[in-house]
Amino acid sequence: MAKKKWIACALITFVCIMISGCWDMRELQDRNFVLAVAIDKADDVKSVETFVQPHGSKRYRVSLQILKLSTGGDQKEESRTFIKSNTGESIFEMVRDMLGQSSKSLWFEHVQVIIISDAVLKEVDLGEILDFFKRDSEMRSRIKIYVTSGKARPIIEYSPPSKEPGGVYLANISRLHIKNIHVGGARTDLGYTIQYFYNKSNVLLPRIEMADKVVKLGGSAVFKKDKFIGYADDYAIAGLKMMLGTEKSAVVTIDSPKTPGHQIIFELFRHDTTLTPHVENGVIYFTDEISMYGNVGEIQGDISENDTMDPEFIRTLETAFAEEIKNNIYYADKIFKNEMRVDAISKFAAKLKAHEPDTWEQVKDHWDELYPTIPLYVSVNVTIRNIGSHK
Amino acid sequence: MAKLEAKIHMSEWQLAIVVFVTCIGAQIMLTPRGLIDQVKNGAWISVLMGGMYFYTATYFMLRLGKQYPDETIVEYAPRIFGRIGGGIVIFWFNFLFYMQVITIFYGVGRIITFYMFDRTPPEVVVLALLVVCTYCALQDWGTILRIQQFLFVIAYSILILVWLTSILNFQPENLLPLWPLDIKGVALGGFTTWGMYSGYECVLLLLPLVYRKVSLAKLAKTVGVAFVGLTIVFMLIIVLTIGVLTVEDAKNLPFPSLIVIRSVELPGTFLERLENYLLVTWIPVVFDTLAAMMFFMAEVCMRQWRYADHRPVLLMLVPIIYVGAMLIDNPQVGEILGKFTMWLGLTFSFGVVPMALLLAWWQKSKVGKDCG
Repeated sequence: MAKKKWIACALITFVCIMISGCWDMRELQDRNFVLAVAIDKADDVKSVETFVQPHGSKRYRVSLQILKLSTGGDQKEESRTFIKSNTGESIFEMVRDMLGQSSKSLWFEHVQVIIISDAVLKEVDLGEILDFFKRDSEMRSRIKIYVTSGKARPIIEYSPPSKEPGGVYLANISRLHIKNIHVGGARTDLGYTIQYFYNKSNVLLPRIEMADKVVKLGGSAVFKKDKFIGYADDYAIAGLKMMLGTEKSAVVTIDSPKTPGHQIIFELFRHDTTLTPHVENGVIYFTDEISMYGNVGEIQGDISENDTMDPEFIRTLETAFAEEIKNNIYYADKIFKNEMRVDAISKFAAKLKAHEPDTWEQVKDHWDELYPTIPLYVSVNVTIRNIGSHK
Repeated sequence: MAKLEAKIHMSEWQLAIVVFVTCIGAQIMLTPRGLIDQVKNGAWISVLMGGMYFYTATYFMLRLGKQYPDETIVEYAPRIFGRIGGGIVIFWFNFLFYMQVITIFYGVGRIITFYMFDRTPPEVVVLALLVVCTYCALQDWGTILRIQQFLFVIAYSILILVWLTSILNFQPENLLPLWPLDIKGVALGGFTTWGMYSGYECVLLLLPLVYRKVSLAKLAKTVGVAFVGLTIVFMLIIVLTIGVLTVEDAKNLPFPSLIVIRSVELPGTFLERLENYLLVTWIPVVFDTLAAMMFFMAEVCMRQWRYADHRPVLLMLVPIIYVGAMLIDNPQVGEILGKFTMWLGLTFSFGVVPMALLLAWWQKSKVGKDCG
């Protein structure tokens, strides 16, 4: 009996020792939190920051923005982050080699944004660049992806005046897309981009630019499947958002009908947008029915001329705003259909597939050629619900 | 005999809970990819049809059990199929549990090491879970049943709550076209859902605990409620997976359910990386399924070899389970084993059990005539 007790005690002690710690434990202060990633072409390879590659070439320069875990004493510091770079071809290999420049392991669970220079995208497909990020279990689905026409590294070097960590600041700009009609920020993160790839859809990613210490998001980089084909401007993105109904709020501007040369602004609060595919006698066309509700946001020019208490004036404004929205949508349609010849985020294809599956089966193999010939008919109805705090 | 909480009676609702809890296990993470790949947008219909198919199979089992209200399949199978035939059926029945258990252990080890403990070897994760499940399965049925009832209330409600956060990313249009073009494929896809519904076979062991007080009609109704619950949970998983990820995305992901939750961001809260929360709530769900199945395996062996206690048999089975789970060393082998187990299960449910029922009826009618 005593022997059994000894064995039981030994067993319990052994189990306690074995399970008392966490096998995967990594202390917070022993990690380098990566907040942003910049991918550029490796124009100038710095021999210190790179490594000998058995395969491939020095194709990319990958830079990581890492959070400084300061003790809180020094508040005068310029930036809360620092940058490490490496050049090579495999992103994973570069990241691992970067440990040669770091005293702590790199931790990707908090990556907020990936910025890619279009110089890279002109040579390599987006899917190839993102493979590492989609495969690694540390990455979040909601990492923002931006494209820039310049170099990406200076953007992640940018130190926000608000003293926020740069990666967080850059990611949060995109989150405001719901109020900024010029930014196509909805469903443009890593998770959705990968989803578009699997669905063989076209991709739009927000464009970010930096000049004179000003960083700004506006317009979109357009991809046919995962091939970069160019940029759509802010106005086209505004039209596209209203066409697809992805905007939450918007500001629409018209020239005042009563005081030409001065502007009147409509602030959109709510909309009801229905993009519907139709097939009649084998002919495909789409209708876009939009109802918008909002306020008069701003009136420039003589207020006595622009009398917002006059119902007839309000009706005139509603018609003018509806016309402007329609023009904006047709502008976006022209840009994507005639100039870029690409079904942006393949929304039209998705609608046809969902609502007319038989027709989709017939046209899916030559959809890219067919899409630019498919007409879109837009009808817009604007209702002004309020005129603001003053008449 | 040790001081175990021997159980000689169960209510019909307790049986329904056992069926529900045993069926919902690891497969909610492991199965959706294959099903969505096979039947695409029609996966939700396949789940619905699967519910009907496997309820029918369970109904056959209830009827078969009713023929021998005081016995389990281990006792009556040799009388129906003969000594050798009965032995094969009992082995088949137990082997089904074994295959499910090792596939689940393998899958859990893979998921946990990839998403939670990337530096822990899967062998260690599986070993730890095996130890806990063995401890539970070493108890008698009364204790295991209480654990199942407790987890039914706690673990499942939290799991479903975490899962429902994915509604934030749900896009109904991803489900369209709702009615698929390939009806035959969808109908056959119902059988592919066996991996989700499997576990209902346990009724063949538990019916003697219920039949002393409950009629077949009442039991069929109550077990039917369990199947309605199962179908709702599985539908919720499939519909939300497709609604969030699209068919094309989901079929390219080894564990789409985890990616669904990983995509959720709760703005303004400190909660993030919800897949970890899902995994934490999923582990007890897997634990009770595994513990119950291990108990059933030991119980079958105990009855077959006429032991008084299931515990020595269980301890003997533990290394066999561990080695079996460790032998599955890559996802391809896991997939092949999964398909093999599915066919084994389908043949058992729709071949062996109806045949046993017909033979039982025939044998009983013969006995009746001989007496008359």
